[in-house]
Amino acid sequence: MDTGLLAQYVVIGLAVVLSAAFVMQKQFPSGVRRARIACALPLVRENRSAWLRRLGQWLAPAPRAGEGACGGCNGCDTNKS
Amino acid sequence: MSNASAIRLALVGNPNCGKTALFNLLTGSRQKVANYAGVTVERKEGRFHAPSGRHYALLDLPGAYSLHAASLDEAITRDLCRGFYPGEPAPDVIVCVVDATNLRLHLRFALEVRELGKPMVVAVNMMDAARRRGIEVDLAALERELGVPVVPTIAVRRDGARELVARLDAVAETLHEPRTHLGSGDGALEPEALHAETCRLLSLAVTMPRRTAEVDDALDRWLLHPVFGLLSLAIVMFLIFQAVYAWATPLMDLIDAGTATLGEWAATTLPQGPLNSLVVDGIIAGVGGVIVFLPQILILFAFILALEESGYLPRAAFLLDKLMASAGLSGRSFIPLLSSFACAIPGIMATRSIQDPRDRLATIIVAPLMTCSARLPVYALLIGAFIPQQKVGLFNLQGVVLFALYAAGIVSALAVAWVMKKWRRDKNEHALLLELPSYRLPHPRDLALGLWERAAIFLKRVGGIILALTVLLWVLLYFPNGGGDVTQSFAGQIGRAMTTVFSPIGFNWQICIALIPGLAAREVAVSSLATVYALSAADDAAAAQALTPLITHDWSLATALSLLVWYIYAPQCISTLATIKRETQSWKQVGMSAGYLFGLAYLASLITYQVAVVLGAG
Repeated sequence: MDTGLLAQYVVIGLAVVLSAAFVMQKQFPSGVRRARIACALPLVRENRSAWLRRLGQWLAPAPRAGEGACGGCNGCDTNKS
Repeated sequence: MSNASAIRLALVGNPNCGKTALFNLLTGSRQKVANYAGVTVERKEGRFHAPSGRHYALLDLPGAYSLHAASLDEAITRDLCRGFYPGEPAPDVIVCVVDATNLRLHLRFALEVRELGKPMVVAVNMMDAARRRGIEVDLAALERELGVPVVPTIAVRRDGARELVARLDAVAETLHEPRTHLGSGDGALEPEALHAETCRLLSLAVTMPRRTAEVDDALDRWLLHPVFGLLSLAIVMFLIFQAVYAWATPLMDLIDAGTATLGEWAATTLPQGPLNSLVVDGIIAGVGGVIVFLPQILILFAFILALEESGYLPRAAFLLDKLMASAGLSGRSFIPLLSSFACAIPGIMATRSIQDPRDRLATIIVAPLMTCSARLPVYALLIGAFIPQQKVGLFNLQGVVLFALYAAGIVSALAVAWVMKKWRRDKNEHALLLELPSYRLPHPRDLALGLWERAAIFLKRVGGIILALTVLLWVLLYFPNGGGDVTQSFAGQIGRAMTTVFSPIGFNWQICIALIPGLAAREVAVSSLATVYALSAADDAAAAQALTPLITHDWSLATALSLLVWYIYAPQCISTLATIKRETQSWKQVGMSAGYLFGLAYLASLITYQVAVVLGAG
């Protein structure tokens, strides 16, 4: 495979991943949120390396309105309103 | 600025007194406003800074006739004012907006709010309209008698809330001082006492030459007439659909030509290969196929916005009340159903203003049958391809067909509601109590803003969900055979498998494959068809053609009619299902809605296709 064709496939691959992520986020926001929390939680544990924890924080969804700034997993079940 | 340091204001008042217009004026927001009751059914929050430097958090609440809530949206206002709304602190100051042209009704609510005993300012809105009608309001007398600050506002003028902001600053200064409570704290006043107090205030502070505007009475004599009124409504709706076709063509041709030029340029500029195909056959063909319908959507909404602003729509609700009641819907269903013409989601949410839970459910279930704007590109494509552009008497045939499709949606909704009524053996009929607003000439700036919003919503969908789904569909059409025989692609195989179910209604594999992304947004069906046909084309010249001639060549009239009928009932988009779940809190209702819509769509398309084939259109 020549480099030009490879570059084309890389661009297409990126477009596909971004499109799929966008469609999932738009159509199934709660599912995506749960999936992001599930992926992020194991990465932010204390025994993880700093870069993994940063990755986990990046993956974690933003807190919903009315929640604290902890990352918003609702795991602690406290009423912050 | 943190939430904690901003002073929390709540805008309350009767429906259609101009709360949202005032909210938009103060916060710079562009929330939907219209000249009828029940536009706002949710709390909205915005912020603004007063010239004094003070920060305010402003809540726009649904309109309420009383704190004794009769519907879900009124309950939101009641609970928020009393500080019982979950996750929401009580407001520091309540701004009670009253319509200066309708103080007889609106002062009652202001008196109820005063009884809550919270800091309060009364904003007497629409003072300009009151002056034009010769209504004089003695604001000083009103302030003295109510015992709370009273200020004039004109929410549609740029500086129309200056005095309100100044008074809010003054009230904010005294928030921490001990207050003398005016009310009992629960908003409870006997109806007779409320009525007597309202009459007393009116006699002291308000002079009005007559209770209604002369022009309103004159227009209503005709527009609410049982025969002429219905005739006028039919003519208005009919002319709108004529205009959609008559006026949009030049602009559509321009966009079409632009898309074709862009496609040709991209095809020659980009190196041959998959990326070229993605951009030309996928993105430009798909997205261009949808964007061409923007002029028609804007023309349709220009009329709808003008009708909303004019105050005619509640009259239409009044005219159709008897018909709706006989079908098992309440007159209050009219506004939610009307909102569903833009999109079923706000329509379903607007059902919160319906008091009876069974009426509300019936309206939610039939709302997806109203023709949302996402269906318009599908209709326009098929009508443009299969209905000749000729005159029938004075009328454009394509416009007549579009009108018939919209009418079919409405008739189907009434029929479904009637069946539901018979099913539940409901013999109750709820009288329609509806406030008829004054007629108003639509403001060109509001119309322009409304159209801009609609265009932005449409283009955002085109650049967002439609583009994303088009890219994904292209991948399924291009692989695994690298753009060879498209029938052997992933999508081709899925489409051909689906034809076992859909061939009795005349759908080929290309239509079947377009139905799947159409679940995310109905207009994606058009972009999907454009991509499928661009990739199926024998050569680049054929691929560059617009979609219309391709489907005219490939489909029979029976197939086109069947697809048109399918989209009258089209099982709704996923977002609509999610909204039904949220509003009804029931998966059963979601399943019922999806099931009956699919069943109706399939049955109606089957009958249409088979009858058309028998008549020789196959």
